[in-house]
Amino acid sequence: MNGHHGAVAMFAAALSFFPPCAAPAAEEVPQRAQACTVCHGPGGNSTDPAVPSLAGQPAQFISMQLFLFRQGDRKDPQMSPIAANLSNADMNELAAYFTRQRPASPSHQSARENAAAGRRLAEQYHCVQCHGPALLGLQHIPRLAGQQFAYLRTQLRGFKAKIRADFDGNMTSVAELLSERDIEILADYLSGLTPARD
Amino acid sequence: MFSAPFRPLVSLSAALACALIASAAQAQAPAAPAAPPSWQQGRNAEQEKSTLHPFAIEVTGKSAKELPLDKLKVPEGFKVEVWAEGLPGARSMALGSKGTVFVGTRQLKDVYAVVDRGGKREVKTILKGLESPNGVVFSRGTLYVAERHRITRYDGIENRLDNPPEAKVVVDGLDPQNQPGHFWKFLALGPDGKLYYNVGAPGNIVMPAYFQAAISRVDPRTGIVENYALGVRNSVGFDWHPQTKQLWFTNHGRDWLGDESPNDTLHVATRKGLHFGYPFCHQGDTLDPEFGKHRSCSEFAPPALKLGAHIAPIGMRFYTGKMFPAEYQNNIFIAMRGSWNRTIKQGYNVTRVSFDSDGKPKMEPFLTGFLVDEKADPPMWGRPNDVMVMRDGSLLVSDDQNGIIYRVSYGTK
Repeated sequence: MNGHHGAVAMFAAALSFFPPCAAPAAEEVPQRAQACTVCHGPGGNSTDPAVPSLAGQPAQFISMQLFLFRQGDRKDPQMSPIAANLSNADMNELAAYFTRQRPASPSHQSARENAAAGRRLAEQYHCVQCHGPALLGLQHIPRLAGQQFAYLRTQLRGFKAKIRADFDGNMTSVAELLSERDIEILADYLSGLTPARD
Repeated sequence: MFSAPFRPLVSLSAALACALIASAAQAQAPAAPAAPPSWQQGRNAEQEKSTLHPFAIEVTGKSAKELPLDKLKVPEGFKVEVWAEGLPGARSMALGSKGTVFVGTRQLKDVYAVVDRGGKREVKTILKGLESPNGVVFSRGTLYVAERHRITRYDGIENRLDNPPEAKVVVDGLDPQNQPGHFWKFLALGPDGKLYYNVGAPGNIVMPAYFQAAISRVDPRTGIVENYALGVRNSVGFDWHPQTKQLWFTNHGRDWLGDESPNDTLHVATRKGLHFGYPFCHQGDTLDPEFGKHRSCSEFAPPALKLGAHIAPIGMRFYTGKMFPAEYQNNIFIAMRGSWNRTIKQGYNVTRVSFDSDGKPKMEPFLTGFLVDEKADPPMWGRPNDVMVMRDGSLLVSDDQNGIIYRVSYGTK
């Protein structure tokens, strides 16, 4: 596409040759991103089940969520006040940093019986259509593979209850179909997936 | 921006049938499955697995230096440059009498004003917290803004950019159903002094209510509203021919009928009250597989020009400036913001429509280079949204993907 995107694509391609690991990012952490890593973990690899990992998330997803927090459409006691003070350029800078970080191997162990059931639900409810076959996300759509379990469950419950900001209505309409049991299985399945490209 | 789950309007017969069986079924029936978001509505069973999707804009904008501007191409003798940046979601444009460029947004809640300070452009966010303020018009000192549910006026705006006046309502209640689908409005001032706006179809392919899938007009002096053109699925760009004073408009065809069908279209409304086909007939000659079964395309006004399937024509303006070569006079420039509903993408350009000696329109690409890989996801890095002729004859092009405004000029170094 161009130099910048080409470099990202090459980096992403290079990543696929290495098994994911929790090694700290080699890159210098921008000052603004250091505050994020207090909760979101070094390099944006969270160790708190309730806090999402940012490492390797699509840049557009990160900047859009920060924007939604600042605008007040998405609400969180920690994130809302932080986002309130960020400029668009700040958000883009944070998105550019965290998208470059390598996702760690998942700490979550999925229940064995949920591997097939989770995949079936992910296909039945078309998760794989937007989030991609390996659930790695693209553009404004997040990576789900290896994301924290409690965080995923909270988001799905929020979409189902129509209280989670939804940019285009897709998640709200699909989550309405999910049972609480579906949500448990999906969150368990997704959070145990290795976040690596095939 | 956060559309409620889509609820299609059902046909009368379907509604009756539902009512008849509803009471019997109510006791045991599981909760009705949620309807898909409006952009997915109308897919067949096979298309449920489609990975085609609309593209989200960069809501925080992109800085021009991050963009591959060297890919942009214009015809020989023309030049394209970045005119202003830092306007996330920039869509419709309007020109103030003192040279301020007003810019509306759809997925944000802001209206911008761009002030030219000796070659440097300053961007101010003058209005915040509005509901998809897509449409902007400037006339006699007043800025008019079309939101999803109302049209408002801001008098004396150019003298008060840092302290805008309170909104005065021209007309309210334009969105009584909080409709999904195409609720954002283009706005333009007609030669009759009335404000013209669209209310799009409340989904991809559904039966619209009487005020939907229409271009309507409101008299700003009285607030009286009337439909002007009917059967228009969604038009987010119109202008009047400089000589005939007839209304020309772009229109988005339905999705999920394949890569090549139907075309998005350019129309002329030779008088008030014409019906342009939606949801029965598309592109003047293609009956809808569901709604067109018992209709004929001959009932409806055909398009002036087919623009390409799913190419998403947005803003259009007649060229009336003095800068471009004489053959551009009274040509139409159209900003193509799509396509997404094709496996092989096309568009993402500004197209020139010229007319032969018989008045027959033909089109050719004018500003290209945003589309870089027709098979990629995403296929483009920028999306033209509106065009506007400046007083010096140059052409501004807004790009809502990145929040940039470009300027195309001719004969300058």
